[in-house]
Amino acid sequence: MLLFRSEEHIKNWCRQWKFEPGAILNLDTAWRLAHAWYVEDRREHSWRRKTLEEIEALFAELGLVSTFWNLR
Amino acid sequence: MDEFDLQVRYHIYDSCMERGQPPLIDELSAILNVSKEQIGDALANLAEARILVLQKDSGEILIANPFSAVPTSFLVETQKFSCYGNCIWDSLGLAAMLHQDVRIRTSCADCGRALELEIIQKTVQAHEALIHFAIPARHWWDDIVFT
Repeated sequence: MLLFRSEEHIKNWCRQWKFEPGAILNLDTAWRLAHAWYVEDRREHSWRRKTLEEIEALFAELGLVSTFWNLR
Repeated sequence: MDEFDLQVRYHIYDSCMERGQPPLIDELSAILNVSKEQIGDALANLAEARILVLQKDSGEILIANPFSAVPTSFLVETQKFSCYGNCIWDSLGLAAMLHQDVRIRTSCADCGRALELEIIQKTVQAHEALIHFAIPARHWWDDIVFT
């Protein structure tokens, strides 16, 4: 996941590296996703990775509902 | 994963949280007073469980998400230390995991212009930059280092 100055720069990058355009997030949404993903203390004995269902619920909560975000 | 794997996981993330980078096999071996082989086996189990990514030749930790054990294009500065995120998402994740204000120094992946983000009191300071996810979510772990 890379950072770009603008959509124009994302288009340039996709053209250069022959990638289909993926998903674009603004920083606010990306922060909410990163916060939910990483806020827990992984030193805790009880910590475990999120389940598929938990990740799907998180994506839905953030409006990440296009086929790009499908996990199955 | 067994209890020993969880002990190893504890010390890996304790090192990350205290100094900003994962420990070496030698360090884990000394901390837990076990052989390097036992540490290597635990790291392999944690990698199998997608908790870590290991360096191919040495078996050392490459990634303990969101921390990178090696320098990347995402330098994250905290009041306590500087560390490296694996990507911009992980760099934001470092602020979340560390519960600290951070400054992320990186650059536009297209043109190379320096970009600097600040997360202060759990808020990304206003910035027009955008994040691009090139790999669809279900394929992230096909090649997590590339992702």
